[in-house]
Amino acid sequence: MKFSQNGLYIESYTKCTNCGVLIYDKIDQAVKGPDNASYCSSWCIDWKKDRDARRSKVKVTS
Amino acid sequence: MQNIIGIDIGGTFTDFVSYDPKTGEIHNWKNLTTPAEPIDGVLEGLERVEDVKKLDKLRLGTTIATNALLTRRGAKVAYVTTSGFRDVPFIQRGDRRSHYDITWIKTKPLVARRNCHEVSERLSAKGEVVEALDEAAVRALAQKIKAQGDIEAIAICTLFSYIDPAHEMRVRDIFAEVLPEMPISISYDVLPKWKEYDRASTTIADAYLKPIVSDNFRRMQKRLDGIGIGGKVGVIKSNGGEATLDGAAAAPVQMTLSGPTGAVVATRALSRLTGINNIVTFDMGGTSTDCSTVVDGMEHVTTSFEIEWGIPIQVPMIDIHTIGAGGGSIAWIDKGGMLRVGPQSAGAAPGPACYGRGGENATVTDANVVLGRINPDYFLGGKMKLDAAAAHRAVGKIAKALNIEPDAAAYAMVQIANNNMLGALRAVLLQRGLDPRDFTLLASGGAGPVHVCDLMEIAGIPKGLVPNYPGQFSAFGFIMTDARVDRHRTVQQTSKYFDAARATAAMTELANSAVAELTQYGYTQGIEVYRSIEARYLGQNHELELSFPGNDFNETTIADLWDRFHAEHEARFGFAIPGETIETVNLKVVAISVSEKPEMKTLAKGSGKPEPRGTRRVRYEEGWHEVPVFNREDFKDGDKVQGPAVVEENASVTILRPEQNLVVDRFGNLLIAS
Amino acid sequence: MDFVTMNILESTMVSICREMGIVLMKTSYSTIFNEALDFTCGLADLNGDMIAVADYCPSQIGGMPLLVRSCLKEIPLSEIEEGDVILHNDPYRGGLHTPEHTFFKPIFADGELMGFAVAIGHIAEVGGMAPGGFCGEATEIFHEGLRIPPVKIKKRGKDNIEVWKLLLANVRTPRVNYGDLRALIAAVDLGEKQMAGIFQKYGRQKVQDTVRDLLLYSERRMRAELEALPDGRFNFIDHIESDGIEEDRKHTIEVEVTKKGGDIIVDYTGSSPQAAGPINATLGVATSAAYNAVLHMTDPSIPRNSGCFRPIRIVAPPGTIVNVDFPAPEVGGNTETHPRIVGAIMGAMAKAVPNRIMAAEGATHCNFVFGGVDADTGEFFACYDLEAVGWGGRAFADGNDAVDSINGNCRITPVEVYETRFPWRIESLAFNADSGGAGEFRGGLGYTKQMLCLNKEIICSQMTDRHLIAPWGLNGGGEGGTGATLVQKAGEEKWKTMREAYGKKSTSRYSNVSIREGDRVKLVTPGGGGYGDPGKRPKELVRDDLHEGYISKDFAKRAYKYQEAE
Repeated sequence: MKFSQNGLYIESYTKCTNCGVLIYDKIDQAVKGPDNASYCSSWCIDWKKDRDARRSKVKVTS
Repeated sequence: MQNIIGIDIGGTFTDFVSYDPKTGEIHNWKNLTTPAEPIDGVLEGLERVEDVKKLDKLRLGTTIATNALLTRRGAKVAYVTTSGFRDVPFIQRGDRRSHYDITWIKTKPLVARRNCHEVSERLSAKGEVVEALDEAAVRALAQKIKAQGDIEAIAICTLFSYIDPAHEMRVRDIFAEVLPEMPISISYDVLPKWKEYDRASTTIADAYLKPIVSDNFRRMQKRLDGIGIGGKVGVIKSNGGEATLDGAAAAPVQMTLSGPTGAVVATRALSRLTGINNIVTFDMGGTSTDCSTVVDGMEHVTTSFEIEWGIPIQVPMIDIHTIGAGGGSIAWIDKGGMLRVGPQSAGAAPGPACYGRGGENATVTDANVVLGRINPDYFLGGKMKLDAAAAHRAVGKIAKALNIEPDAAAYAMVQIANNNMLGALRAVLLQRGLDPRDFTLLASGGAGPVHVCDLMEIAGIPKGLVPNYPGQFSAFGFIMTDARVDRHRTVQQTSKYFDAARATAAMTELANSAVAELTQYGYTQGIEVYRSIEARYLGQNHELELSFPGNDFNETTIADLWDRFHAEHEARFGFAIPGETIETVNLKVVAISVSEKPEMKTLAKGSGKPEPRGTRRVRYEEGWHEVPVFNREDFKDGDKVQGPAVVEENASVTILRPEQNLVVDRFGNLLIAS
Repeated sequence: MDFVTMNILESTMVSICREMGIVLMKTSYSTIFNEALDFTCGLADLNGDMIAVADYCPSQIGGMPLLVRSCLKEIPLSEIEEGDVILHNDPYRGGLHTPEHTFFKPIFADGELMGFAVAIGHIAEVGGMAPGGFCGEATEIFHEGLRIPPVKIKKRGKDNIEVWKLLLANVRTPRVNYGDLRALIAAVDLGEKQMAGIFQKYGRQKVQDTVRDLLLYSERRMRAELEALPDGRFNFIDHIESDGIEEDRKHTIEVEVTKKGGDIIVDYTGSSPQAAGPINATLGVATSAAYNAVLHMTDPSIPRNSGCFRPIRIVAPPGTIVNVDFPAPEVGGNTETHPRIVGAIMGAMAKAVPNRIMAAEGATHCNFVFGGVDADTGEFFACYDLEAVGWGGRAFADGNDAVDSINGNCRITPVEVYETRFPWRIESLAFNADSGGAGEFRGGLGYTKQMLCLNKEIICSQMTDRHLIAPWGLNGGGEGGTGATLVQKAGEEKWKTMREAYGKKSTSRYSNVSIREGDRVKLVTPGGGGYGDPGKRPKELVRDDLHEGYISKDFAKRAYKYQEAE
C-alpha cells in the first residue's frame, strides 16, 4: 500500500497475490513471484504454485 | 429483647444460632439436613432448646424454592399473554451461553409451549389502549384450561402492563372466577418493570413455585404448631428480609435466594456495630464461594439474577456472586501443562483426600494441610481427624506432574485457588466500579479465614475481618434480620418533559403499598422507608441508582436529582455529558420494619499480648516459618498479634502473613491489617 | 514458564477486558451496543498481538489482531503519547466494515509504551446513503458512510475537537453517536488505567515475559487440538443468493481446508470475484471467520489471544468476495458473508470432526435498519437491529431455536424497549412452524416479527440472505426454512416482497424504501438445516414437535412419514 508523498491519502493498494494481505510500501518486504506479481512471502509463492498444479490435475482427471 | 433462633437449612447441614437476651449468650450448633422433609432436621435441632415455647422468634432460611427451580419440580403452568407473543419465553433474547460451544443446548422455559395462550388486548408504549381486552375470549380460555384439568398454576404477563395493569388484573379476575382455587401470578404484582421476556420469565417462575412452596410452608406451619411455635416463624426472602409464611407463599419467587442472604445481613449488622462502612464478604465453603458487598452500611440489591443461564428471575435480591470453587476444588494439569484448580469438586463425599473417605484427588484443603496451614489434629475443633499422609500423597502426584517439590506444588494450588476467588471479588468490586482499597474483606465459611490474608494481598484490599462464628455466619445473620419489602416500577420519563405529578403519584403509591404489605403481615414497629430512582442519559440502556428524599417531586428535589446524576455518572464511569437529557426509568422503594437487635456481648480488656498455645511450621510464599499458634478462645479485647501467626478456632483457622498484624476488637472480631 | 503467574495474569487481563465491556454496555446509546452487545474489548502488545480479550462479539474477537497490526503500521510508535486515543474504521486497512469503530489507547509504564487497550464497537449510524449503516444497494464504499483512517480522537488526554466536529457533521444522529463514542473512550480509559496498574504491580519485564509465554501456551494448546484431528484436504462450496445489485446472480464461497499436523490452512481460492453490491468481506472478516470456525472445532477453554491463531493460515485472494479491493462496498460481508464462510468451513470439516460441527444455521442477522424524524420529538432516529435464526442440527442434538448467528452473540431488543424508542408497533413475534430442517436431529426454528409503522415515514434498508437458498442439511438431513421480508401497504390485503412492492433488484438486500404510516413489514428469519436421516428420528420426538406446534401435521407426514389417528 502506497501513500501519497505528503502522507495524507493512499495512492495505491498492494496485496499479496496469494493470501491477500496488504503489503505496506517501505514497511513490508514484498517478494516478486515468477509471474512478476507481488507476494508477501516465498511461502505464498510456493503455495499458489502447488495449488494451481493440484487443481489443474483435478480438471484433467475429471 | 427477644429469644431468637436463626436457622439456615443448607445442602449438607442445618445451622442453628440462638440468642438469649437475659444472658446475652449466643449459642450455635448444627445437624444434618433432611432433604426429603427439611422441617424434620429443624425439629431435631430444636430438641436442643430447653423450652421452645419460650422462643419469641424463629427465622428460617430455606432452599425449597431454589431446589424446586434447579431440579425443575414445580407446577404445571399455563401462560397467558398478549395476542402474537406466546413464543417470547422460547425465543428469549437470542444470545448464547458462551462462544464457540457447538454442544450448547438452549435453556427451556418453565412452561410447555402447548400451555402458552394468547388473549386479544394491546397497550401502546405510552400506555394507551390500542385494542380492548376481549373478555369473552379470556373466559373461554379459562374454561378450556379448567376442562384440560392438569394445569396447577397460571402466569399472566401482557405487554406494557407495567404502565397500566388494568388488562392483566382483569384477566386475573376472570380466571379467578372460573378457577377459584387456582394459584395465579400476574407480572404487575411480581415485578412491574419493562422488558417483556424478563418479566414473563419471572412471572412464570412465581406461578411455577406457588403450589410447591405453599404446600411446603403449610406442612412446616403444622409441624411447628405441633410444638407450639407455629405463630413465631419468619422466613428469609432473597432481599434479606423476613416475611411471614403466608406472605412468602403469596410471592414465592422472592424466596429463590434465602439462606446465603444471612451472611450479608450479618455483615451489615457488623458494619453498624464496628463502624466499618465498606465491607466485601467472602464466604468460602467446600464447593462454592459467595461474595457480596456492604457499601456505606447497606447491602447491594440486584434484579439481574438467573436461576440457570437464560432464565432470569428479576426480583430484588441481595447481590451475591457465587462461584463453584471452594476447599474441595480439585487440582489438575490441563492439556497445555498448566496447573488448574476446579471447577470439579470432591464435594462432601468422598471429599478431599485428607478426609480419608477414599478421595484421591488433591484438593485445596489437602494443599492447606501440606502447607501446615490446616492442622490435621484440630479440624472442626478436633472433632474430625484429617489424614495428612493422604493429603501428601494426593498433592505429591501433582508435584510429580509439574516436576516441582510437593510444598511448592501445594503453594501453587493455593495461589491458583486464590486467583479463582479473586475473580469473584473483582466481579462484585471492580466490575461495579468499586475500589478495593476502600474495603474490608470479611471472611466466613469454613475455608474463608484460611484464605482471607492472601486474598487481601492479591486483591489490594487493605483490611480484613474474621467475625465470630464464621462457620455459621448466615444463621447468625438471621437473628438480626428485619422484615423488608422491596417495590420497583418502571415509570419512564425524561428531564426534558418531566411530569412531576405523575412521578409523585407513582412514588406515593409504591411507598404506601410497600408499607401496607408490611403491616398486613403484622410488621408494624419501627417502619423506615427508603426511596430511589434509576436513571440514565436518554439513549443509554443501563441505569444508575440515586436515592430520593421522599415522595414529592418538586423543583428543588428534581433539580438536585439531575445534578446528582451527572456527578454520579462522572464518578462511576469517568465522564459526564453536561446538559444532556436524563431519562428516569424505575422508581424503587424499600420498606423495612426494624427488628430489635441482640446486644452483643463484649470481651474483657486484655493485656494486648496474648499467649500462643504453641508453634508450628507453616509454608509461606518465601518458604517455611515456625509460627506461633493462638487459640481464639484465649483472646481478649485489644489483644494484638504480629504475623506470621496462626489463629485456630472450632470452625476454621486464620493464617496471618508475615507483614500483617491482627487486633481483637471488644466484640471478639479479628481485625487484620497489612 | 511460570504457570502460576501466567494463570493469574491471564484471568486478570480477561477480567479487565470484561470490565471495559461493562462500562461500554452501561454507558453507550445505540441499542446495538447496550442491548445487543455488539462490541469487543481487548488488550494488545506492541507487536500488535492480541494478548487478552473478553467474550463479547466473536466477529470482532477474530478481527482484532489484524486491525491492531494494520494500525501500528501507520502510526509510528514514536508518535504515540500518553493520553492519546486512536480511532479507526477503515475496512481496507484491517477493518471489518464501516460501522465497526476501533479505539486504541496506549498503555505506558514508567513513561515507556507497553501496549494498548482496545475497544471495537458497532456504531449504528455512520452516514452514507442509507440511515443505519446497512445500505443494501451500495456500489462503492462512499455509499456506506464515513471512512476513518487511524486518527487521534484524543491527544495527550484532551479531545481533538477538529476530529470530533468532522465525525459528528457526517452522521444523522450526532447526539447518539457522541454518546457511543464517549462510551468507547471510557472503556479504553478503564483498560489503560487497570493495565498500567498491572505493569506497576508485577514489573514490566515480568508482564512481558509472562505474556510471551501465555501466547506460546495458547499456541501449544491449539496445535495439540489440531494434531488430534485427521490430516487431509477438505472442500466445500456454498452460495450467496444476491448482492442487491445484479439481479439473480449467485455468488460462490469456496473453501479448501488443509489440515496437516498442528497447522491448518484455510484457502478461499475459487470464491467469486468481488460483487458489485455490499456482500463483500474484507480480509479482516475472512480472517475472523476462519478463526471463528476453528475455535468452534477446538477446545473452548484455550485462552483467546493471538497465540492460538498462529497455527491458522488464511489464503484470501484479493479482489474476491472474501477479500474486497477498494472501493467496492462491503458492509454485509461482516454480518452475512462471515457466517456463510464459517458454515462452509464446517461443511468441509463435517467428515473429519462430526461432533464439532452443525448443519447450516440461518446464517444471517436480518439487518433491518431504518431511520426517520420522530413526530413527537422532531429528533432524527436511526436503528440498526438484528434478529435470531435457527441453528443447524448436530450429530447429538437438535439445532437450537432462535439464536443469533454464529459470528455474533447479540441479544434481540425487547418489544417494550423497541416500541418505546422507535415509532413501530410490533404485532407479533412467533416461531415459523416447519422451518427447522427435518432430520434425526432437526434444525432450529426461525421466527417472524410483524411490525406496523406509526410514523409518517420510516426509511428502511436491509442486508439479509436465505430468502432463496435454504440452509443446507447434513448427512441426509433436510433443508431449513427460508427467510423473507414482506410488506403490506396500508389499505392493501396482499403481502409483497420488496421486489414486488418497490421494484428492488433483490428481496433480501435493498435500501431506502419509504414505509408509510399504516404499512406493515414482516421479517421472517430462516431456520437451520437438519442433521441425519429424518426416518431415524424417534417417533416420540416427532409427536412432541407436532403437539408443541413446532411442526405441522402436513410436515410430519411429508418429512417424517408420521401421522396420528384423527
